[in-house]
Amino acid sequence: MNPGSPSAPEFTTPSVAAIDVDRVSKIFRLPHERRTTLKEYFLHPFRHDGHEEQRALQDVTFRVEPGEFFGIIGPNGSGKSTLLKIIAGIYRQDTGTVKVNGLLSPFIELGVGFNPELTARDNIRINGTLLGLTRRELGARFDDIVAFSELERFIDQKLKNFSSGMYLRLAYAIAVQVDFDILLLDEVLAVGDAAFQEKCFASFDRFRALGRTIVLVTHDLGVVQRFADRAVLLIGGEMHALGAPDDVTEKYEAFASPIAV
Amino acid sequence: MVEATGILHAPRPGGIGHRLRILQVIVLAEFKLKYAGSALGYVWSVVKPLTLFTVLYLVFTRIFKLGSVSEFYAVSLLVGIVFFSFFSDATNQGMVSLVHRESLLRRMRFPRMLIPTAATLTAAMTFGVNLVVVVAFIAWERIEPQLDWVLLVPLLVELYVFILGTALVLATLFISFRDMGQVWELAAQLMFYASPIIYPAALLPQWAQEIVFLNPFVQILQDVRALVLYDDLPANNVTAPDVLGEFGRLIPVGVALAVFGLGVALFKRYEPWFAERA
Repeated sequence: MNPGSPSAPEFTTPSVAAIDVDRVSKIFRLPHERRTTLKEYFLHPFRHDGHEEQRALQDVTFRVEPGEFFGIIGPNGSGKSTLLKIIAGIYRQDTGTVKVNGLLSPFIELGVGFNPELTARDNIRINGTLLGLTRRELGARFDDIVAFSELERFIDQKLKNFSSGMYLRLAYAIAVQVDFDILLLDEVLAVGDAAFQEKCFASFDRFRALGRTIVLVTHDLGVVQRFADRAVLLIGGEMHALGAPDDVTEKYEAFASPIAV
Repeated sequence: MVEATGILHAPRPGGIGHRLRILQVIVLAEFKLKYAGSALGYVWSVVKPLTLFTVLYLVFTRIFKLGSVSEFYAVSLLVGIVFFSFFSDATNQGMVSLVHRESLLRRMRFPRMLIPTAATLTAAMTFGVNLVVVVAFIAWERIEPQLDWVLLVPLLVELYVFILGTALVLATLFISFRDMGQVWELAAQLMFYASPIIYPAALLPQWAQEIVFLNPFVQILQDVRALVLYDDLPANNVTAPDVLGEFGRLIPVGVALAVFGLGVALFKRYEPWFAERA
């Protein structure tokens, strides 16, 4: 890697913040017509690559303190999920730095990356292992994961037969069974039913009591007001507000329905 | 922090133990997946190379009379086909593995190299099943095991290193150029006929031998045959030192290591962007 180029999130201990995001920017290059086959290169060798540059994030800077519940809100396409993926080390930012202090458990795009052809049992084994559980820990926690997801009857069925709500419950159950310091949650409340939401809320309280850090991306402003210590508002990849949840959600409401204000 | 919050911590992910556990669960699941839902299961992994073997054996002994060059033509051909199937399957599965698991890539952070490694190891398990058939053929031919067969171990290691390196190069290229699928299928087919699998190595002219022995696969195959079919006819029993000189084996071994180094370097260079491009 060149010196000065953006580096992967560093997992260091001495820093104070749980997550330190410093002037992070990210541009997606989206070709107009994806030219990924050789034939297209041969047919149109001189045609310029029709890039469309989409600015996903622009100079995003904030810190999340250990034990804090941090909300990220904003309209669709505002860069919330991209930001979460950069914090999780899944995407690489173009400029800026991200420092993460502690063990991360990511819950992104409604899941933890299941293989639909495998059974729930095999998926728990694979994803639990990917998240860092040893075989013994998996054995000890397997029943807890199944119980939390309430999928006992379906545990040996292939995931392709699961509904999206069942998917979500299983993924959440795995993500929270890791001894994480920091939990990244992307739209965890979007497709679950009321009972599952209440279960999530109960677990939020439990993690807060344990001093864990939670970053939640959501459209549900009520949840942010109820649980978050602080929040950030992203619009078009830029930060429009950072601070107390009530102030930030108020700004978002003003942006979303300007006439009402 | 541990004391302050009272949380018991699992060992931090990213260590070698964590990586090995990931490889183990993925390889076992993939192997299961490959043969689950098919009536004959693992039998298929043996049927495919054996069918190819039977067809080629009949064609080249009955029509082209290649069987006369060696009493071990049959087992020699089978070794060639089984080794080539391993090379071809492992590199193909390694190439497409990242794109097939893109949903995992976009949701979790883990060393990406584990995905193509797991794919090649899954192919290695099929190779292991096929080797049982090869051993049965060797027993049938009443070839007695020799002490120097332990040299098969470094040869198999070299083969795996070459395969993994090739798979890493292909997996990186396949992310951006999906045509690599067709290109590699063609290249592998050419390699099959350019290697002394069906025909004895000595049938090739000297200049052609010097070229094909640069390929680590050919060097490994011929070394394996020389070790196991030790009293084979001279036309079959040609190894790298016969063609490339006394230290000639070092050239294909060097090629295997260079391909592996290139694969690792290329993969690491583009790894941060796999999740968004796969």
